[in-house]
Amino acid sequence: MENLTGNQRPPKSWLVESILVTLFCCLPFGLVGIINSANVESRFYAGDIEGAKRASEEAGKWTKIGFWVAIGCILFYVVILLTGISAFIPFLKNLSF
Amino acid sequence: MNKRIKQWIKPVILCCIFASLIIIYRFFDPQSSGVFPVCPFKKYTGLLCPGCGSQRAIHDLLNLNLLEAFKENSMVVLALPYLITGTIFDFLKNPNKRILKWRKMLFGKTAIYIILIIIIAFWIVRNINFI
Repeated sequence: MENLTGNQRPPKSWLVESILVTLFCCLPFGLVGIINSANVESRFYAGDIEGAKRASEEAGKWTKIGFWVAIGCILFYVVILLTGISAFIPFLKNLSF
Repeated sequence: MNKRIKQWIKPVILCCIFASLIIIYRFFDPQSSGVFPVCPFKKYTGLLCPGCGSQRAIHDLLNLNLLEAFKENSMVVLALPYLITGTIFDFLKNPNKRILKWRKMLFGKTAIYIILIIIIAFWIVRNINFI
């Protein structure tokens, strides 16, 4: 098994992206991404290349979800800010920008 | 021709976004401007999340105030060099054995679990002491 994986790199583990999402966007999805990137590494070095690929896809999926949720929230926020809707709706007023 | 444009359009757009973000965070202070997004977790629980203060930290870093940035969010400041190293490792084509060994050590399973523990510990500690 060592020889099999000796000269290859594991599939993309999305670790950097997951940490960025955790710190700057959306904590829960970022943490799921980090856990999945740990799975990528451990499965790959255990010789389970298929499993590592699956974990890689999973990690990418959660990282992207976290990223787009955050972008969506920021856009929502910007739209409210620009249109001034928050002045009229009590719930939005509580968000107080 | 069309293919070439397609190949370049994504990196160019990303670079533009990145550059404008740097300019925004360089010249506008998230603390006083009041137009930057607020952390929803902090907003509704009153507690700090591990990422709270990262916008202020980035602003301070871009203005070369390392100490202030460290006070706002020490983990972001410490994480940046690590993340840059990780990005470089990701972009290396055909890594040799030594690079792969370093990669496994710095970005392998153990390292990732240590990072997870650090993030969660930082989250707890900063809410106790307000570091």
